[in-house]
Amino acid sequence: MSEHAHDPNALMSVTIDGHEVQVPHGTTVFDAARLAGVPIPTLCHQQNQTPVAVCRICVVDVGERALQAACIFKAEPGMVVKTDTEPIVQARKTLYELMLSDHPSPCLRQQQSGDCELENQAEAAGVTEVRFNKRAVPVLAADDSSASIHVDFSACILCDRCIRGCAEIRNNNVIARQGKGYFTTIGFDANEPMGNSSCVSCGECMVSCPTGALTNKKVLGGGRLYPEDTPNVYSVETEELLELPVFKGVSGTFLELNAGSVVKRVFKAGETIVREGENGSTAFYILDGTVDIFINAPREHVSTEKARPGLFTKMRSLLQPKSQQPREEERATPSHIRIDAPVDLPYGDPIAELHTGDLFGEMTCMSFYPRSATVRAKTDCVMLEMLRNVLDVMQKNKTFRAQLEANYRGRALGTHLRSVPIFANISEEFVDVLRDRVELLRFAPGQVICEEGGPADAFYLIRIGFVKVFQRRGLDDLVLAYLPRGGYFGEMGLLQGGVRTASCVALDHVEVVRILAPDFHEMLDRFPDVRGHIEATAAQRTRENVILQQRASAKTESTPLQQFLEQGLMDAQSLLVLDLERCTRCDQCVKACADAHDGVTRLLRDGVRFENYLVATSCRQCRDPRCMIGCPVGSIRRRNSLEVIIEDWCVGCGLCATNCPYGNITIHEFDATGNATALQSVQTDKDSSNTNKVRKATSCDLCHDLAEPSCVYACPHDAAHRVKPNEFFTQVLGVDLDKEAAFVGKNR
Amino acid sequence: MDTMQSQSVLSDTTGLSGVYEDLRQVQDAHGYVSAAEILKIAERRKVHVRDVHTVASFYPHFRLKPPVPVDVRICDDMTCHLHQSHALKATLERKYAHLPEVVRVRDISCLGRCDHAPVMALNDRYYENLSLTDATQLIDHEIALRDSERGHHSAPPRSPEERGFAIQCDPYAGGERNYALFRDLVAKRNTDETLAKLKEGELRGMGGAGFSTFIKWEGCKRSIGPQKYVVCNADESEPGTIKDRFILQYLPHMVIEGMMICARIVGAQRGFLYIRHEYELQAEILREELERVRAMGLLGKDILGTDFDFDMEVFVSPGGYICGEETALMEAIEGHRAEPRNKPPRTINSGLWKSPTALNNVETFTHAVTILGKGGDWYRAAGRPGSPGVKFVGVTGHVTRPGIFEVPMGVSYRELIYDYAGGPPAGREVIAFAPSGPSSGYLPASLLETPLDWDKVKGLGSMLGSGAVVVCADNACMLDMALVAVRFYRNESCGKCSPCRIGTQKLVDLLESWTRGEVRAGDQAMLKDLSQVLRLTSICGLGQIAPAPIQSVMKHFPEMMREHLEDRHCRAGVCFGGAV
Repeated sequence: MSEHAHDPNALMSVTIDGHEVQVPHGTTVFDAARLAGVPIPTLCHQQNQTPVAVCRICVVDVGERALQAACIFKAEPGMVVKTDTEPIVQARKTLYELMLSDHPSPCLRQQQSGDCELENQAEAAGVTEVRFNKRAVPVLAADDSSASIHVDFSACILCDRCIRGCAEIRNNNVIARQGKGYFTTIGFDANEPMGNSSCVSCGECMVSCPTGALTNKKVLGGGRLYPEDTPNVYSVETEELLELPVFKGVSGTFLELNAGSVVKRVFKAGETIVREGENGSTAFYILDGTVDIFINAPREHVSTEKARPGLFTKMRSLLQPKSQQPREEERATPSHIRIDAPVDLPYGDPIAELHTGDLFGEMTCMSFYPRSATVRAKTDCVMLEMLRNVLDVMQKNKTFRAQLEANYRGRALGTHLRSVPIFANISEEFVDVLRDRVELLRFAPGQVICEEGGPADAFYLIRIGFVKVFQRRGLDDLVLAYLPRGGYFGEMGLLQGGVRTASCVALDHVEVVRILAPDFHEMLDRFPDVRGHIEATAAQRTRENVILQQRASAKTESTPLQQFLEQGLMDAQSLLVLDLERCTRCDQCVKACADAHDGVTRLLRDGVRFENYLVATSCRQCRDPRCMIGCPVGSIRRRNSLEVIIEDWCVGCGLCATNCPYGNITIHEFDATGNATALQSVQTDKDSSNTNKVRKATSCDLCHDLAEPSCVYACPHDAAHRVKPNEFFTQVLGVDLDKEAAFVGKNR
Repeated sequence: MDTMQSQSVLSDTTGLSGVYEDLRQVQDAHGYVSAAEILKIAERRKVHVRDVHTVASFYPHFRLKPPVPVDVRICDDMTCHLHQSHALKATLERKYAHLPEVVRVRDISCLGRCDHAPVMALNDRYYENLSLTDATQLIDHEIALRDSERGHHSAPPRSPEERGFAIQCDPYAGGERNYALFRDLVAKRNTDETLAKLKEGELRGMGGAGFSTFIKWEGCKRSIGPQKYVVCNADESEPGTIKDRFILQYLPHMVIEGMMICARIVGAQRGFLYIRHEYELQAEILREELERVRAMGLLGKDILGTDFDFDMEVFVSPGGYICGEETALMEAIEGHRAEPRNKPPRTINSGLWKSPTALNNVETFTHAVTILGKGGDWYRAAGRPGSPGVKFVGVTGHVTRPGIFEVPMGVSYRELIYDYAGGPPAGREVIAFAPSGPSSGYLPASLLETPLDWDKVKGLGSMLGSGAVVVCADNACMLDMALVAVRFYRNESCGKCSPCRIGTQKLVDLLESWTRGEVRAGDQAMLKDLSQVLRLTSICGLGQIAPAPIQSVMKHFPEMMREHLEDRHCRAGVCFGGAV
């Protein structure tokens, strides 16, 4: 290297394959060759990135013992460079061959767009066969955790282009090499799955990647959201998106690849944009205008009572407002209903406004939950409607994050906090204190939020998504709860010695508000009634957990008994059993059930079998209450007695009915006046345009107001029985279940 | 004058330099470094999470997963391999296969104890001259310990190094180690004169390159920069190389004074003595010596009342052979993955933190002191005619008295192996020797008369290197020995450039298939292409030299190779399932 100072304007002469060219001092051999019209192939070098010279494809002869990488080697005055001698050509071929030997050809990029640079260059260089052994052990399994980018480690050639794209071009600094030698791969943060990492999905890595290692994930088969020429739906140009602050810093090429996944829509004032309970897969970002967001369904729940005595004994289902039938509630009535938007709806008058710059439908879009509320244009509106790959990009964008957080802190944190019953009384002044201290954190599906046994250092409120709370019991997880939007966790550990009592994991795309331990304790000190509430809640949760643990640890040698316990039958109050040896499948029971419940049956004759009995119960109190997952408004939950109840702001989307593995939840349809309409389908394929109908979820009530359940009464074969589980199964199994349960409880 | 105890210049708060201390602390406390701890370190040091993880995952010393309670690691590089370490490892693997939750038996790269082969690391403690019985007893004892008693970092047992011969190169031998040469240089400021003496003594780089030290120091002296560094490469990790361990243990004052003199000559303010982490005893000795020097007022600000400031510290390597490559070593000090840089720029112009840096091997600094203390004439004359100088050489493998010897340059390899190291075990004949570990390749016994001379060994297509002589007797298979050497390069490749990352693995694949008797028609052409691409396109010496062992065996042992490739015959009975 020459240390002499040069006239910065002076040129030097370099000869490349016999072509002499004048270049400024400091020019690399690669650039000098380009100026001389001599192309040098390369895989790792890009004009907009700092050269690293790791692929070694661009090696040239500069008269030294070994070949030098043209992309990084600085030309010197009078240097004579050869780029295509026999050893160079052969070395290049061998390099391609080495890289191809561990590369799946054709890789995803080659399949999708035919532009895998490795495969194309190797072919051009005349590499026809790969003589080396393939990699014996796959390097890492493909990573499909990101909503927008697919990672195939086997196609990666470690050219570092993504790393430099991420760091130098976007300044995101998420990707780096990890591991050493032959086992080196790229990695995200501390080797997280890409979707769990701090990746903002700007797309630069994917645009930089020369192979199929990082490719664009198309959603819905890569098709367009709407057919072309749909009225009031307009395509958006990439340039237009890039001008929006919320897409600042995103790779344009990346947005172009996803062009079909975002459209502009125009709504007239009064037009309905989405309807509660409907399925969907998109989110809306308000570019201009104001919308009303509200719940249309009456805040009432299904109540079944004995009809007037008459010729036939029948049950009658009614919708009953909470005030008319006070439900025994251990927890105070929430003041707000949580919906899939950056506002909460007041319980008494569930309506709110969203304005320009607001986003709604995140949970529907990311996790495919039904719409939680109805949205109607209040003024003429312009919206971006997008699929999850584009939403993902936007949500992770720093500008949008900042806007979202500011909105949340400004207007939602207070109601969110106070709508948690235990915080109902904290002062505005203290909310102000918390406003700047709380943190908003995102978690990807499956990501651990906190770990059982770890230090309890914070309290969490769920802003978006579902959190599974569980304890590890050997190979099994014992699910303590599925917490919906608005739920909270972390108080147990904070109150009980500073160690986490359970693990919490994100079930889907989750955002939580984190209140750090010192702030939490300050809150308790300043508001003694908050402390009282939290301690009561923690004590209650402890009791519930003990019951669940007893059930979970009830392992015995007897398989039928094991099943009995696992199915939770032990804790049921009352069971309906059908003796399958007697049952002729005449379906009289189903008909009777329908007759008794306004024509809508709540009994499906293919429930869970136990020995030769089919068991139907009101609520099985499952160890894993999957019915609760995904309720868009959080209206299905566990009571303190562990019984599952459906709150009265149910929007009738039917997701819980679909999720219940035992068919114990059904959907009732009523006309708008509150009378159940006859013979409606129990499935969720409702006609969404039928807006004068009201749908509510309900579960089998064992006809509790009648002397005998209708199905039992109707059975002509004496196959249906209503039984007390422990008595009944003690006979069947020949085991004293009460004793067994006590034993199990003691030895936990 | 500042006589305070020196602080490391490496940040213990922010940035990446010094990050290894955090990682070590976490590993000492928890047994491994979890992702959560990596997050904490990143937060505290105000760096990105990926920057900590990329480094932590690069150095095998850091465990990113909880370890098994008893971690057994057996070295199977050249010398240990010659002492049947592969059989030992296979037996231990079988023996403890029923305790997969408790015992794990795996490889470890050369630990620099080749004169006491075979060597085992048991929960990071090192055991030498290991028999199967010893190993089993040690492991069983470790299993029986309760978790709380199982220290991961107790002091390793040491074997006496003294071999009962006087060291000639030490000008302070028998007198007080008072750093008189350095004091004199600081007082007289005669740096040009001092440089001239080194030139006269014909001092060469003793790490293996044999490059003139005078030229390097003069270049660094001329290089312009407000900050300059002196670095001593004490990361010796090449199989068979053990001489620096000896020097560091017995002549620490010479290494340190050599660095101080170099610093005064080139104008450096700061020095790092970069030592491999397995040399725990030697690092301790060096730290003690440094405290002694500091107490004499020879480190710190305004040394001896002049305006010369210099201080230095022992830097414990996070581990890996590649750290011995000079630019990789600098990357490691800076807190990065130890990946060699593209050159130029050269380190004398742009080394540590892009500043001019003089980096030399342990023995080079030592011999600088010899030349200045005993005179260039003495040094030159200490060698045999035509081969100036003395050299520390390690002789290991199939010899009866393995060890480290201070020998005159020009001595023949026959003398080294037979006279110094006792020759092969009774009834055995030497068939091959590596002048300098795997990098030099293997030479046949017919070349035993070759003198220890830089140019003469180079003339044979080999190299004198660091003087790590590994001897193979007639019960060794040279194809097997080539495979062992190539495996070492595969294991130690940093993975930065594609030829070395992929090529060394494919080379191992090829040689392994040959030892199984699987020979395909195009194999020799493939070996030629692979060797070429490694030699011509790899960024650093590791990849460039990786084909040397098999190339040398193909060249010097053609009959043995023919027997393998054509007759499927291994006369040593090692290949084709003959060995364990």
